[in-house]
Amino acid sequence: MIRFEKVTKSYPGHAHPGLDQVSVDIEKGEFVFLVGSSGSGKTTFLRLVLREYKATSGRVYVAGKEINRLASWKVPRLRRDIGTVFQDFRLLPNKTVSENVAFALQVIGRSRSDIKKLVPETLELVGLDGKGDRMPDELSGGEQQRVAVARAFVNRPMILIADEPTGNLDPTTSVGIMKLLDRINRTGTTVVMATHDAGIVDQMRKRVIELEHGKVIRDQSQGVYGAQA
Amino acid sequence: MQLRYVFSELGQGLRRNLSMHLAVILTLFVSLTLVGLGVLLNQQANKAADHWGSQLQITVWLCKAEDSSAACTGEVTDAQRDAIVAVVEENPEVAGYHLETKEEAFEKVKELVGPERFEGPNPAATADDMPESVWIELKDAEQFEGITSAVRGLDGVSGIRDMRETLKPIYGSINALKWGALGTAAFLVLAALLLVGNTIRLAAFARRKEIGIMRLVGASTLYIALPFLLEALVTALVGVVLAAGALGAFMYFGIHERTADDLKFMPWIGTGEYWTAVGAIALLGPVLTLLPTLVLTRKYLKV
Repeated sequence: MIRFEKVTKSYPGHAHPGLDQVSVDIEKGEFVFLVGSSGSGKTTFLRLVLREYKATSGRVYVAGKEINRLASWKVPRLRRDIGTVFQDFRLLPNKTVSENVAFALQVIGRSRSDIKKLVPETLELVGLDGKGDRMPDELSGGEQQRVAVARAFVNRPMILIADEPTGNLDPTTSVGIMKLLDRINRTGTTVVMATHDAGIVDQMRKRVIELEHGKVIRDQSQGVYGAQA
Repeated sequence: MQLRYVFSELGQGLRRNLSMHLAVILTLFVSLTLVGLGVLLNQQANKAADHWGSQLQITVWLCKAEDSSAACTGEVTDAQRDAIVAVVEENPEVAGYHLETKEEAFEKVKELVGPERFEGPNPAATADDMPESVWIELKDAEQFEGITSAVRGLDGVSGIRDMRETLKPIYGSINALKWGALGTAAFLVLAALLLVGNTIRLAAFARRKEIGIMRLVGASTLYIALPFLLEALVTALVGVVLAAGALGAFMYFGIHERTADDLKFMPWIGTGEYWTAVGAIALLGPVLTLLPTLVLTRKYLKV
């Protein structure tokens, strides 16, 4: 589903590349944790998958396409297959929960009847049924992140990318979000999650890819956060 | 494509940035009016040139039947006319000439004053009241004394009109007005372009959250840019309509009401020329707003 072949991404003006000769293969339906200290290259990795960045060298394949060579007008179509969740939720404050989720479908031109069906379905899936008319600032952090997950998943993407989704949440709430991501993963969606949260990684026992200075230093199935396992 | 979002964004964007949009509309309005004025004056100059010929012309009036000129003893004879034409043809200062008949002169007058006064049993004038004339095009506007002195005094010549003297001030002021209008318009057009650019920058900033999410979930670039393009189009249309109104007012109060009645000796621009000018600004207006919008949305809304 996602394949990196000797991918290097360097930034102009920086001596060390953000990613350095990284080769990784992530299968369809996998759940992968991306760990490593700040600046290790996790976010660069995710942005390359989203084609927000282009690799300096090497090849990035997403859903069978080499996305470095994708014409820029085809990038939106690629992103429709990828849902994204961030640490800071990124909800639109002037729209209700339902409108926030529906927005993701409206702007890619989905029909009104699709939206009417998919939005409540997805809100129920993330455990927010009955809260569709609330405004984001009336919700707790965990609930806001559920809205963000609903928005990322409402178009049923093949891949869900989460960049520190529990970074702003307390441990109990984080567990709830992780259960949700696990449920989404079980529907066949590939989940790639960058995180600093050792407790969660240790508890979930999923594949762990550890980055340091832009290189993969560990790739372990059913791994833990630290290297001791 | 679902356009509900696009239109609600359009309305929101127009309201949110009202003062900037007003600034764009007013600048467009004034600059388009001046461009339209330039186009009208250009047509006025062309119209005058069609009627009178260029500044390089002198006209030799030939005697008519009851000519008031002392040089005339009666209507010009065929032999006299041939002699005059021969002199004109041989003169080295002459680039070309055209012999205007009474009928041609009559048609010109009818066009200028309106044909209705020459119809019916008691017309103001007939073709026979018109003089024949030779319209001489000079090779060089400064070289004219040879031909005027050669023709003056020939039998059958009633008088000579030097167009350079009559037309210079008229063409001069039309041209000065035209270039003044177009020159001022050029500066205002530049200001309009910069204002549109700033408006887009502000609007893109105000919508940065929405735009970020749209890009992430895979909205097409066109879909993201559409509210901006429509805003540009709406401001352009308002500007064009205002300018067309101002030009219409100029045509009515400036030309139709005043000049055309007082200064009947020259032909004035009318409705046809007005629509040409409106067509020109109707094209220019949207280009002025859409061009910077396209360039800047590519820059700010890049996927």
